[in-house]
Amino acid sequence: MLTLVRQELFKLIKKRSTWITTIIMLVTQIGLAIWAKTTPKVLDPRAVFDQQFFGVVWYLFFLIAAAASIITMEFQYGTIKEVLYRKYYRGEIMVSKWLTLFIYSLYWVVLSWVVSMLLRAVLFADKIDLGAKVANGNTVLMDSIQQTAASFLTLWLLLSLVLLLANLFKNSAVAVSVGIVGYFVTQTLASILTMLIHKWAWLKWNPLTMLFYPSQLSSYDMYHAMTKLTNVQMFCGNVVYIAIFLGLGYWIFKKRSV
Amino acid sequence: MSEILTISNLNKSFGSKKVLHDVSLTVETGHIVGLVGPNGAGKSTIMKTILGLINYQSGDIKINGQVVSPTSHQALSKVGALIEYPGLYPFLSGWDHLRLFADGDNRLEHMQDIVSKLKMDGYIKQKAKGYSLGMKQKLGIAMALLNDPDLVILDEPMNGLDPQATKDLRDLILDEAKDGKTFLISSHILSELEKLAQDLLIIDHGSIIRQTTMSELLASGGSFIDLQTSDDQAARQALQAAGFELTNDASLRVVLTDSDDNAMTNVLGTLNNAGLTVKDVKHEEGSLESSLLDLLAHDQDQVKE
Repeated sequence: MLTLVRQELFKLIKKRSTWITTIIMLVTQIGLAIWAKTTPKVLDPRAVFDQQFFGVVWYLFFLIAAAASIITMEFQYGTIKEVLYRKYYRGEIMVSKWLTLFIYSLYWVVLSWVVSMLLRAVLFADKIDLGAKVANGNTVLMDSIQQTAASFLTLWLLLSLVLLLANLFKNSAVAVSVGIVGYFVTQTLASILTMLIHKWAWLKWNPLTMLFYPSQLSSYDMYHAMTKLTNVQMFCGNVVYIAIFLGLGYWIFKKRSV
Repeated sequence: MSEILTISNLNKSFGSKKVLHDVSLTVETGHIVGLVGPNGAGKSTIMKTILGLINYQSGDIKINGQVVSPTSHQALSKVGALIEYPGLYPFLSGWDHLRLFADGDNRLEHMQDIVSKLKMDGYIKQKAKGYSLGMKQKLGIAMALLNDPDLVILDEPMNGLDPQATKDLRDLILDEAKDGKTFLISSHILSELEKLAQDLLIIDHGSIIRQTTMSELLASGGSFIDLQTSDDQAARQALQAAGFELTNDASLRVVLTDSDDNAMTNVLGTLNNAGLTVKDVKHEEGSLESSLLDLLAHDQDQVKE
């Protein structure tokens, strides 16, 4: 397994897109921080800091694209034959790709968080107090860590769905589109979801609801009214859906003729 | 001599279409085996099944005595393959591809040897997206030979290679076979197979119609004398009267038997005695092409009956 993960990481590191996207995110984060510093009335530093200076949006897109392509590129380039005829079982190969994506996602999450902390320390040390309390009783620092961890879980809900679709369609376009739409649709569908869950209570268990987990941790009362789920239920819901989507993708990959 | 690969009663269907009918074959260790047949006969399908790339309905595949199936892959660690076109990552160089799939650093010494023999040194460090068809094909072959396999399966390896590269590859295969490697090669380029293969597997419509040695098949093809004379009709009558067997087609073609050592002298003598002038004469040895086409035509007739 170690060999397989090493091979996948080798491919990832050799791709130019890995490094170009890193630079894009860093430049955007620094740029936004400087902009917020110079015009705090236009761009509220605290609001932008909570979004990790838009690092989160960038790495979300990059990871959705990476998840789709880690599967589809093998079919697109025909390398799937070389990868599969070796002594490793198909299951091992699928798991190695999950592990690689996991490592890659940790890279982005940690990088974005560390950079936003550094930017705060350099530019906003006086404005944003890490020890101050927020609405749910956490300190700013604790809240930031909690939000990042919760977002990591819902990120993987999206990624597991993207991996499933990439396996199903062998084509990046569908998988990436659904991933990105999945991210945006939650914001717009909040009111519709509220109505639907009000009417059919069992709908609260649908995967879209699970994507509100970080928001609910931050403002429990507001989001609980819509989701009708406790934080623990949402956490478990995320984990179960991730297992289902990964499991389906694994099964499809094992059965496929190449 | 043991058998490195045995397939017994392999059956494969894609949906309702049956593509492999009860295929059974053996490949002897250290031999170079050619797999020939018309397009769509099932050559690539057999190769992909051996490699676990596609599932099959029933049958037994053993490599080095170990069973190979979608759930049992260990035996494939000693197999190298190139199926259809080589799959390459455009953002990796040729050498990166070899490093990626190499099992252990000591393999890379052997790889440098193969790279040199295939004359790839000039571009092996360039990214694959800039490679021509021939360069990609060579890289695919190098990847098949990585990790010192016992059995190498090549599907149309000469595809896209220029004459020099074709010769380099042929020399490489013969060299590696001397070291004990077994090759299973499918090809439409019969002249190349004649120079390489010791054994032949002939497949048509998903069934193995003949498993034989190259020398046996060539011998069965027969040899001929092709003639052009001043009066082909009269020549035909004269030759048939003298006891020679002629083919039924429009050309003047004498079929030779093994025991006919003085055939040429006798044929020319007969025509001379009949007062006919010989304008052109050609002695044709049995070729793989003629033997194969004969065999396939015979198989088609049997299918029609």
